[in-house]
Amino acid sequence: MKHKLSLSLVLGLLSVSFGKAQNPVIHDLFTADPTARVFNGKVYLYPSHDILPVEGTRPNWFCMADYHVFSSENLVDWTDHGVIVSQEQVPWGNPTGYSMWAPDCVEKGGKYYFYFPNAPKSGRGFAIGVATADQPEGPFRLESEPIKGVSGIDPCVLVDEDGQSYIYWSGMGIRGAKLKQNMKELDGELREMKMPRREGMPEMPPMLVGGEEMKGLPEGFKEGPFAFRRGNWYYLTFPWVRGSKENGANPTETLAYAMSKSPLGPWDFKGIIMAEHENHCWTNHHSLVEYQGQWYLFYHNNAYSPNDDKRRSVCIEKVTFNSDGTICEVKPTLRGVGVAPATSRIDVDRYSAISEGCTTAFNDTTATFRGWHATLPGKGSWLRFADADFSPLTDAYLVACVKANANTAFSVREKSAKGKVIARFTVTVKSEQGPFRRDMSGQWLTLTAPLEYTPKGTADLVVTCEGDAVSIDWLQFKNRPRYFTPVASDASPAKPDEQGFIRRWKLMEPIAKPIRSNIIFTNTWLRETFDEELARLPKQKAKWHTLDSENYNMKLFRFAEKYGSQTYGSLFWCETVIDCPEEMQNVRLAAGSNGASIWWLNDQEILLLEGDRRMVVDDGVSARLTLNKGRNVLRCAVINGPGLSDMCVRFLDENGKPVTNFQIPLSK
Amino acid sequence: MNKKYLTGLFALCLLPFALCKAQVGAPYIHDPSTIAECDGKYYTFGTGGGGLISDDGWSWHSGAERPGGGAAPDVLKIGDRYLVIYGATGGGLGGGHNGRILTMWNKTLDPKSPDFKYTDAVEVCASDGMEDQDAIDPGMLLDPTTGRLWVSYGTYFGTIRLIELDPTTGFRVKGNQEKNIAIDCEATDLIWRDGWYYLLGTHGTCCDGVNSTYNIVVGRSRSVEGPYLDNVGRDMYHGGGKMVIAAGDRVCGPGHFGRTIIDEGVEIMSCHYEADFERSGRSVLGIRPLLWKNGWPVAGERFKGGTFEIESERRGYALELTVDFVRIQQERERFWQMDLSKPLVSIPDQKLEDVVGTWPQGNIPLRCGDYMFRPHQRWTITPVDEAGGYLSNPYFKITIAGTERALAATADKELTTVPQFTGAEEQLWRIEQLTDGTFRIMPKHVPGIEGTNTRLCLYSAADSTPTLAEYDFQSDNAKWNLRNH
Repeated sequence: MKHKLSLSLVLGLLSVSFGKAQNPVIHDLFTADPTARVFNGKVYLYPSHDILPVEGTRPNWFCMADYHVFSSENLVDWTDHGVIVSQEQVPWGNPTGYSMWAPDCVEKGGKYYFYFPNAPKSGRGFAIGVATADQPEGPFRLESEPIKGVSGIDPCVLVDEDGQSYIYWSGMGIRGAKLKQNMKELDGELREMKMPRREGMPEMPPMLVGGEEMKGLPEGFKEGPFAFRRGNWYYLTFPWVRGSKENGANPTETLAYAMSKSPLGPWDFKGIIMAEHENHCWTNHHSLVEYQGQWYLFYHNNAYSPNDDKRRSVCIEKVTFNSDGTICEVKPTLRGVGVAPATSRIDVDRYSAISEGCTTAFNDTTATFRGWHATLPGKGSWLRFADADFSPLTDAYLVACVKANANTAFSVREKSAKGKVIARFTVTVKSEQGPFRRDMSGQWLTLTAPLEYTPKGTADLVVTCEGDAVSIDWLQFKNRPRYFTPVASDASPAKPDEQGFIRRWKLMEPIAKPIRSNIIFTNTWLRETFDEELARLPKQKAKWHTLDSENYNMKLFRFAEKYGSQTYGSLFWCETVIDCPEEMQNVRLAAGSNGASIWWLNDQEILLLEGDRRMVVDDGVSARLTLNKGRNVLRCAVINGPGLSDMCVRFLDENGKPVTNFQIPLSK
Repeated sequence: MNKKYLTGLFALCLLPFALCKAQVGAPYIHDPSTIAECDGKYYTFGTGGGGLISDDGWSWHSGAERPGGGAAPDVLKIGDRYLVIYGATGGGLGGGHNGRILTMWNKTLDPKSPDFKYTDAVEVCASDGMEDQDAIDPGMLLDPTTGRLWVSYGTYFGTIRLIELDPTTGFRVKGNQEKNIAIDCEATDLIWRDGWYYLLGTHGTCCDGVNSTYNIVVGRSRSVEGPYLDNVGRDMYHGGGKMVIAAGDRVCGPGHFGRTIIDEGVEIMSCHYEADFERSGRSVLGIRPLLWKNGWPVAGERFKGGTFEIESERRGYALELTVDFVRIQQERERFWQMDLSKPLVSIPDQKLEDVVGTWPQGNIPLRCGDYMFRPHQRWTITPVDEAGGYLSNPYFKITIAGTERALAATADKELTTVPQFTGAEEQLWRIEQLTDGTFRIMPKHVPGIEGTNTRLCLYSAADSTPTLAEYDFQSDNAKWNLRNH
């Protein structure tokens, strides 16, 4: 039990989903009925939280036991602050009601008021509760009773500029009422109303109901009111079923709206904001919010649960208004909003546009939160992903997660299918060579490619297929680590680092030595080979580079990658100069190398590391030796076949402590 | 502590020749996963796709199945399912360093079971081919203190990394970042013991037959995230590591460590040897006792039998036949009468034929007494090839040296010796070296108790009285030293 607890503490409380600028926006929970609010310069998202039907509840129906709150500063990275209210906590609620439907949260006077529908302990239907907090993410304190006079679902609260608040809800039509200054009670008379009798159910006693039904709204099923003010216009927006099966239309919810100069109407119906979902997902539910000068529509679909429209996911689109205040119809997209950092995983299956024939599919139909991939069917097909931010790139390469059934190729371009090539990939899934690479067809592969061109700022990415069909899960740009920095001609002398490692070296561009196995590096072989190369050294035309390593070791493999003809099978000559303020007796050179190496101090061989070596700090040390006062020259040769060549070296004193009181006066 | 440990090793070093082979059957494998048990059988998976199965832990044959190819898997039982993790690529052989590690579940490891079905493999980490890292060779640890699931992976191409998986799904924990914990090794594995995390890595040269220098080294840390320091305080991230096992005993190139706890104080390590000099230099499965010396793991020697004193850890008395003590006749020189001019003579050991006539003909019971290297105290331990085995060894017979008089368990849970070894199961013994270097000695079968015995062992009921009783690592009564001296 204790173990389980600590596990959930570690995993449960706060999670951040990084860099997924796409729809849906939450990728590990079902979320629906999103109310987005801007508090303290951040967007807070209060959705309902769909779960799979719990045993004993109605199958294929909504099932919601708690609320999470999420926040974001860029509409891309969302932080899940965890559960803020759950059904067992509600004093007046049915602890197993699973009816925590669409909520809202508003700020007034520095306090946050969270409104939520829930099943009461007894009786049918819904009541609406309030919880208050000092921070948008809670902790929330629950009121002991629901709001009197409100029987229904989908609360929405509008705090007007004059400080008066209004509440809207869905129950016997869409109703609206004034709230008292305490934000927890209706302002005005409650009237006794007879509840409509549901077929097969007993007659209900009359109830006290407040507010008034909103006038001027169209016929047809309506719920989920969301009211807001923009300039002098009040907007009442709501999911609305306009069609019916009888007239052959799709009888599922649109998002519609009405406008008024007064917060409680009467309303002037204007039309729809978003049409019915194409896949017949029955509900939609929404909010509109202005953030950093742009209006956004938050809504939901059932993208992660295509066969069950009671498990939904929140999406976001930009919204624009006409000059008369009417709203331009919004089309749902996969791409959503926000700029994707090029260094994040870019899910190109959430594309902005595609050529005909491109498709998307779940990576795992049994675990849909693992996302989708896009398939480009053949040469010439393309896919565009808008708004990737290239500004974090320095020295980058591109990584792609792809699969294919035959060897193929694709490119990543800027702007359009004919745009400048950023990187080209060859996908080899079938090759004869090697024991481990048999047939990779149909397997997800992580491939890399160097960049031919790096766009500036924010640009659209276009993937173009240059061969047979290829599927792409994601793209990600990565910056190479900096391994070393060239030393300028006027550089001041370097010092060894705190551990005594010598990081400044003059390195000759590597000599190609095609070696297949490192087993051949015997003492005799090394001496003969290095003597031969040493004799040839003065005649070598190869260039030398003076570098400061960013690490305690010098990454010769990366040096070869940058300045050599081959990375494996290379011989490296390395030299440095050591200026000692005084003679140092009884010190030892301590070195490690990948692979074998010989070390000379002032032309005397002092250490040899033979065989198939990997670099180990202080792998071998020289006999005790003397560093001269003034100039000393340290040279080493490292040879490697297959291996990540590098070396590290320092001097240790009699007690094994690193020697650091000398200078390395090398410059370019 | 050291002495106990050394005694065991010392005894074994004196053996003139190998009396029993390594794991028998066809134990040919490279990069074996930690041995997993499923419905009474043992399984290990290797590079390539297949793996080995054993009914008893001693005799191995091919037949385990793992899809996905690639290299170096590991397997771990979590709840009632098995999580298999493997690298889908080859670590730079025949290609680059775009490594990918995947996990998949199976309810059983038995390919003949109707439940045998792997879930779709899920990628948990990858290397992109451009970084100093190659995502292959995963090893898993389910942390017994927290229930968290950790994976170390990587090869010589850059770093060894640590990641965390969700033990309920086998997926990567959301938001988990890789952490570099070592360099200079591959085929790593993590284990936990007594407040320490141990990172085992394979160092040296792989895949060069009888010239492979592969060897297994270790560092330890109080935190699973490291730093893993060796016995001289050097970080494995700087190449540190203390030797656990290297070449010797006609095998070379041990690699790919796995730890299996059989019982408290009874542990084995599995590995492969790059080359078995007795089997054409093929790569074979190796299983060795895992000993713990001052908090460090070290491979014990393969126990092959020989002639020994069986010394109780309790008092230090020797297991012996209950027969009359026969004095060696000696011309005695009193110390006050010594004639220093007389040449020294070597006194011969008492011989079996000097005393065997004084012994009863039938069953002879046992006791423990002062070791005097006499025939009734000298035991020859010999593997019985046809009797099968268990993880680490075959069953042995334990006979008085030079005779077929065999140690046997009785129905009243006591001991006797029968005049002639018959191969009966109560005359067969399971001998395992414990983590402290002593041995546990168990009859294969106790008459009257159904099935193979795994509970009762040779036990000191009193200083002088051996019996059979429940194995208890915390009691020296259950422990014995095998000494050839």
